[in-house]
Amino acid sequence: MAEPGTDEPSSRTGSPDGEGQVSGERLLLHQRLAVRELIDTELSYLHVLRLCASDIRSSLQQLPQRDLDVLFSNIDDVIEVNSRFLHDLQETASRKEEQVHLIGNLFLECHEELERVYKVYCASYDQALLLLDTYRREPELQREIQSIIEAVLPQAGPSGLSFLLVIPLQRITKYPLLLQKILENTVPDASAYPVLQRAVSALQDVNTNINEYKRRKEVASKYTKVEQLTLRERLARLNTHTLSKKTTRLSQLLKQEAGLVPRTEDKEFDDLEERFHCVSLCVTEMKNNVAVYLDNLEAFLCFRPQEYDLDIPGGPVVQYCSLMRDLQLQAFPYFKQRLKGLVWQPLCSLAKALAGPQNLIKKRLDKLLDFERVEEKLLEVGSVTYEEQEARHTYQALNSLLVAELPQLNQLAMRWLGQILCTFMGLQRELAQQVLQRAEGSLAQLPHYHLSEPAFRKLVEDALGQTGHQLRSFQENFEKVLPPPTVQPLLPGAERQVQALLSRYGPEKLYQVTSGVSGAGTLDLTLPRGQIVALLQNKDTRGNSSRWLVDTGGHRGYVPAGKLELYRVIPRQEEVKEQEWPHKDSRHLTPAPVPSVPVVTQVVAVYPFVARSSHEVSLQAGQLVTVLEAQDKKGNPEWSLVEVNEQRGYVPSSFLARAASPAPWGWGLPS
Amino acid sequence: MENSSTMSKSAVKISLDLLSNPLCEQDQDFLNMVTALDTAMKRMDAFNQEKVNQIQKTVIEPLKKFGSVFPSLNMAVKRREQALQDYRRLQAKVEKYEEKEKTGPVLAKLHQAREELRPVRDDFEAKNKQLLDEMPRFYHSRLDYFQPSFEALIRAQVGYYSEMQKIFGDLTQQLDQPGHPDEQRERENEARLSELRALSIVADD
Repeated sequence: MAEPGTDEPSSRTGSPDGEGQVSGERLLLHQRLAVRELIDTELSYLHVLRLCASDIRSSLQQLPQRDLDVLFSNIDDVIEVNSRFLHDLQETASRKEEQVHLIGNLFLECHEELERVYKVYCASYDQALLLLDTYRREPELQREIQSIIEAVLPQAGPSGLSFLLVIPLQRITKYPLLLQKILENTVPDASAYPVLQRAVSALQDVNTNINEYKRRKEVASKYTKVEQLTLRERLARLNTHTLSKKTTRLSQLLKQEAGLVPRTEDKEFDDLEERFHCVSLCVTEMKNNVAVYLDNLEAFLCFRPQEYDLDIPGGPVVQYCSLMRDLQLQAFPYFKQRLKGLVWQPLCSLAKALAGPQNLIKKRLDKLLDFERVEEKLLEVGSVTYEEQEARHTYQALNSLLVAELPQLNQLAMRWLGQILCTFMGLQRELAQQVLQRAEGSLAQLPHYHLSEPAFRKLVEDALGQTGHQLRSFQENFEKVLPPPTVQPLLPGAERQVQALLSRYGPEKLYQVTSGVSGAGTLDLTLPRGQIVALLQNKDTRGNSSRWLVDTGGHRGYVPAGKLELYRVIPRQEEVKEQEWPHKDSRHLTPAPVPSVPVVTQVVAVYPFVARSSHEVSLQAGQLVTVLEAQDKKGNPEWSLVEVNEQRGYVPSSFLARAASPAPWGWGLPS
Repeated sequence: MENSSTMSKSAVKISLDLLSNPLCEQDQDFLNMVTALDTAMKRMDAFNQEKVNQIQKTVIEPLKKFGSVFPSLNMAVKRREQALQDYRRLQAKVEKYEEKEKTGPVLAKLHQAREELRPVRDDFEAKNKQLLDEMPRFYHSRLDYFQPSFEALIRAQVGYYSEMQKIFGDLTQQLDQPGHPDEQRERENEARLSELRALSIVADD
């Protein structure tokens, strides 16, 4: 495009254009100067930036890395963008005619990138300032920093680092001004003019946006921190200001509830909020459920049957134990670990990340109430105080921030949640795979591997049925009551008595006294242990069935029923139950069934006896004699026929050992 | 056994709650995914129940039966013990008499004691023998007794986990999720987190 400014300045014809030409030339000159200024300042700016980033930053080693990140934030990105920008600017210098136009275009192309990079830097600048303040309070550190800076950039002056750090901010705000200057010095009908205009407004927008971004960031960081305050701290925070704030809000809310004041309905926001609410609910629930799942998994793994020593060598048991051991030690812990890392942790992070926005939403509502009140006041009064204006702005900033970012948040959160779910499923599958692999390996070593499932089940059922029988037989064996050893042989005299009772009453009526009975009442008997009696009646005259009327062969009376036990004279037959070992009959000293024959017993003679006639036989103390008959020919029980030393004869019965009370050998089930 | 049931149940709860979340109405993909997961979980739970039942039949019940023999065994042992006591007691008595002077009454008592001893001793020996025979047999029988149980256990596991693998394999295929290695998954999680953090409404800490 031809520029009017390309006219030779020397052509000074006295035409009316002369003046225009002169001013045109001046314009052109100024324009060129302005352009020159732009490029030169850009150059020096970049130079300073580079020094900052490289030399100064690397010399400031005594500061922790984190601080350095805060101070210099994304200065590297800034440098990168600006160096490209400078390069392109310098390129335009070669195209003299179109330079301004090109510059305008360049700005239009780059402004988005500039905005992106500078807004980050500007937003973190405040934090950097705060950090610098803390340094200033340490004079030692301050001096060191100062000396480093002065070594590199003497022109930084006493304010040092803050001076250097603010330079990018200054630069980005300078661009519109520089462009404006070029614009002023461009003739309105030049082709570059509209381009320049657009460029100027673009850069101004950039600055506005950066400011807005900064404010939003401030608001966000102020309110997102979810503070865990104790009640005491909360109370300490109360002061008149906060109280008045809260009461105003409360009254506003009440007015709205009552319908006195219209409520600002923001459908868009409400939708967003609802969705956000759903998302966060989802996340929380899932987190809780996964926690429960993990706990149950823990409990599941606590149970370790394979650690018990079963003492069963070989066979499926070993397989089973090794299988479970592997699973316990490897597969499941691995699964648990992965679950924790890939599902639980992300869920926790997600939940935490959602806490900030939740807080902001709450705050927004508060600020909304403030805002509405201020709006009211505005309507009524027409002007508001500074604080009120601030309140308005805060609300607006919060609102716009949330509206802008909530959709994205919701979407991201959802996406992540979906991913987590898929991970969960994948993990389950992999667990199944591993376990299956191992288990199938074990299965292959089992004897009945080839059997199909139903066939195997049938087999197991049969086997179990068989072994069940076996077990039952064992049980029965153990349970059977072993028959008691025989009853102690009775004294000859007692034997006779028993026979008498037996013949009179029959075997099923005979009872033996299990322990000594001392009768208290007139009709009660006193009996030693082992005495045989016959039952007459199993209750007394008053119907008391614990006192039984018995006959001792000589006396009749009552004895307590608990002390009587059925006395068996005949040897017991085999019981109905199967028995696996031969029953030793030899213990019975009483021979076969008939109760009449007196027993042949061996007794010990207690006292020596000298035979006085041929019918008698001598005894020595302690001698073993065989009693043939417990009475003499006349039936006198005082004499017994015995055999001793191949001789037979009578001896006094009393010289023979009295039996110690025969203990009842009935061995029933121990109680 | 209850542990695996609770575990299974809690897994079902995860998917159930997810399903009930209103998000599902809004997002079709999400709904599909969650429904599929829910179905899978319910089926797994059913299989788990089946597995538990099977194990109940083939392992737990036989175990109980085996265990129920022990009380009887214990009682038999106790009886033997008692027999032993009585045996000893009488044995001591006999010995006591044997050591005394051999007078008439003593001899008589000795004889008597011996007579008493004999049946008791025999009884004890019978009991003893029985236990000596039976107990090892019983103990030995457990080997054969339990073989099928353990086999059944292993098989049950195999069955359950093969079902599980199938179900989840289908599920992940249906949802088009290939198996990523763990590092990749972790990186993805990190990426998601930093995306979220990039938003200014999310607090950085």
